[in-house]
Amino acid sequence: MEQANEIRLEQLGDVTLFDIRGDVTILSEPFLNEAYENANNQGASKILLKFEKNAYINSGGISVLIQFLAETKKNNQQIGITGLSDHFKKIFNMVGITKFAQIYDTRDQALKGLSRGS
Amino acid sequence: MARRLDERTVEISLPNQVGYERIAMACCASFARMIGFVPERIEDLKSAVAEACINAMQHGNKWRPEARVVVNMNFRDDTFIVSVMDEGDGMPEVPEYPGIVRIIEEEKPTRGLGVFMIQQLVDRVKFNQTTTEGHVVTIEIKLTK
Repeated sequence: MEQANEIRLEQLGDVTLFDIRGDVTILSEPFLNEAYENANNQGASKILLKFEKNAYINSGGISVLIQFLAETKKNNQQIGITGLSDHFKKIFNMVGITKFAQIYDTRDQALKGLSRGS
Repeated sequence: MARRLDERTVEISLPNQVGYERIAMACCASFARMIGFVPERIEDLKSAVAEACINAMQHGNKWRPEARVVVNMNFRDDTFIVSVMDEGDGMPEVPEYPGIVRIIEEEKPTRGLGVFMIQQLVDRVKFNQTTTEGHVVTIEIKLTK
């Protein structure tokens, strides 16, 4: 069963937006890695991961995100997350993602929050 | 553990291929909705069932394409019970999620995350039940919560 993500990068001030289309599973790893490499080539320091509201995210996808966060921590990058349903906000908090990334309710709140450096 | 197939039971058999857990998620969600579960608990149930199915495919059936994962759903006494059966022998020990801080700061492997999610999302989970037909993980989630 094939699964592909489309991750569009957009520079919004000093924030690099990762607009992630599709479900987030272990199969998302190459797509996220490629987007991250492109963002790093452009000197990204603040990254906002935007998910689709109805995206299916499982433990494989969360593992991929944890490895992503490990890399961003090494590179001293600031990470925000938006677009999550209440269910996945709860799960991200439960597994500890919120210790390394701030979750925002909306894209605008995230851009303001990240631009302030909060 | 006897498999129940009565008027309150639905059972499906999935190919051992990642992605098909979504069929189990959708079935469980429809069943739980019929019974009257609130949307928040249905989402919990869907994620827990997905993780149990993926574990069954990966660790139980070791990705063997000819193997099956059987998902049995049953409702009785205000409890929704989902049994996920694979053709393996169970886990020598239930893996423990080390926590994100240890994974990131001590570079520990990310293991046990699916099991951790199941444990957190449902009221009760039983691992490592073996039957003549295979290894079973049973998830219980109560209607009243």
